[in-house]
Amino acid sequence: MRVWAGFCGLLLAANVCAAEGNARFDWLKIVAFAGHQTDYSGVFVYQYGNHVETSRITHVVETDSEYEKLESLDGPKREIIRHHGQVWCYKNHKMVQVDSHQGQVRFPLLLTDQLSALSENYRVREAGIERVAGYDTQVVLFQPKDNLRYTHMIWVHTDSGLLLKSAVLNDKMKIVEQYAFTQLKIGSGVDRSWIASSATTASLGTGKAKSASNKVAAPVNSGWVVDALPSGFKKTMEVVRPMQGKHAPVTQLVFSDGLSAISVFIEPADGDEDDVEGLSSRGAVNLYQKVVDKHLFNVVGEVPPKAVMQVLDSVRYNGK
Amino acid sequence: MMKHEISALMDGELFEDEAEIMFDQLKQDPDAHREWAVYHLIGDVLRQPEYVHRDISTGVRERLLNEPTVLAPRSHAIKQKARVFALSAAASVLAVGVVAWMSLQISPEAAPQMAMQQPDIRPVNLQIQPKSNDYLMAHQEFSPSNDMNGGASYMRTVTYNPGEKSQ
Repeated sequence: MRVWAGFCGLLLAANVCAAEGNARFDWLKIVAFAGHQTDYSGVFVYQYGNHVETSRITHVVETDSEYEKLESLDGPKREIIRHHGQVWCYKNHKMVQVDSHQGQVRFPLLLTDQLSALSENYRVREAGIERVAGYDTQVVLFQPKDNLRYTHMIWVHTDSGLLLKSAVLNDKMKIVEQYAFTQLKIGSGVDRSWIASSATTASLGTGKAKSASNKVAAPVNSGWVVDALPSGFKKTMEVVRPMQGKHAPVTQLVFSDGLSAISVFIEPADGDEDDVEGLSSRGAVNLYQKVVDKHLFNVVGEVPPKAVMQVLDSVRYNGK
Repeated sequence: MMKHEISALMDGELFEDEAEIMFDQLKQDPDAHREWAVYHLIGDVLRQPEYVHRDISTGVRERLLNEPTVLAPRSHAIKQKARVFALSAAASVLAVGVVAWMSLQISPEAAPQMAMQQPDIRPVNLQIQPKSNDYLMAHQEFSPSNDMNGGASYMRTVTYNPGEKSQ
């Protein structure tokens, strides 16, 4: 309830200054705040191309730390649990911890300079009120000013600020991927028994023990630079991390324009990558892979193919 | 029909031995080879319309105007020639349009079938392989989409394709 009061205040403040220039970007702050601070549970559909998948998400807040469970309802059982910046993934009948380097929940995330970068690269407008999953939502449209990023559309629950639907569109305004809740419960009454359930605690516990023994990567300056970043993308992270199935640690550089991110992965090529080169996609995520000078480069991002290719082709080693 | 077979070859609908025979024919028959090139041009146009979406009529008109008018009395004949050229150009544009329309009509049904028959042939719009999921997971951690829809976008990192065994 305390959280609710605080949040309603924020919502009110946002509405009051909505007439001002960049106020529409406040919808992003509202969504981020609500997404972290609200208890909710619901079923959503994720769709791209011919692929449609239904999942359940449960998010609860316990004394300033969040628990989130994501379960697939179609196909093989997959489950992802996130808590305090750690990620566990249930796949192939076992729960494993994903090498995670976030350390702690980053919040608030939309920093002021990121918001100004957003207004330089996107045109934002409110596009009416629509109903999603039985709730009234405000539709907000983010249209890019260049062709190196996608158009984003979000449907924000006018009462709670939760994101109930989002769509990514290409330059021909065709939907690349979308998420939409079909059923949602907000606030009290959200199931939290799974947090304490023995299975989860056990796996979270062992996960924690394991993570302690893991070499956790610290931010580094690897010497790799990207010369032709799309405008507005700022480096948010640079780590050297171990990755499953890799002999050598992988350098990861992350750049973000506030709405989408581009990751550059660099590792020594071990000679059997002949089949991986090229461009591939999954929904809004594009992946471009290439071996250059005995290094394997992977560029991943929720940006058009053109952008990941431009980034990869302009990666350069600037170290000693 | 040769054209039909070329189209089938391009769509990956021929069996390996049939494809071999077609390739031999393409090497020997210049007409078939030209057909093959045209089909590829059409394919490129369909896939990357942004690079060819331009009005070429002004360019063509300029080139026609620059044609030397050698003798004034024969201008009538030249004009006629230009008209013939324009007509044949219009006809080929129309032909491209029809083929484009046809392939748009058939592609949605043809695509899954092709994927089942010939898993070795890579479709134009390649899906990210499950072995790259770790990169997606590592990327997702730092993506602003986490703040937008909570963990919902994590579903991308473990998504599955029906028909493909879970890894």
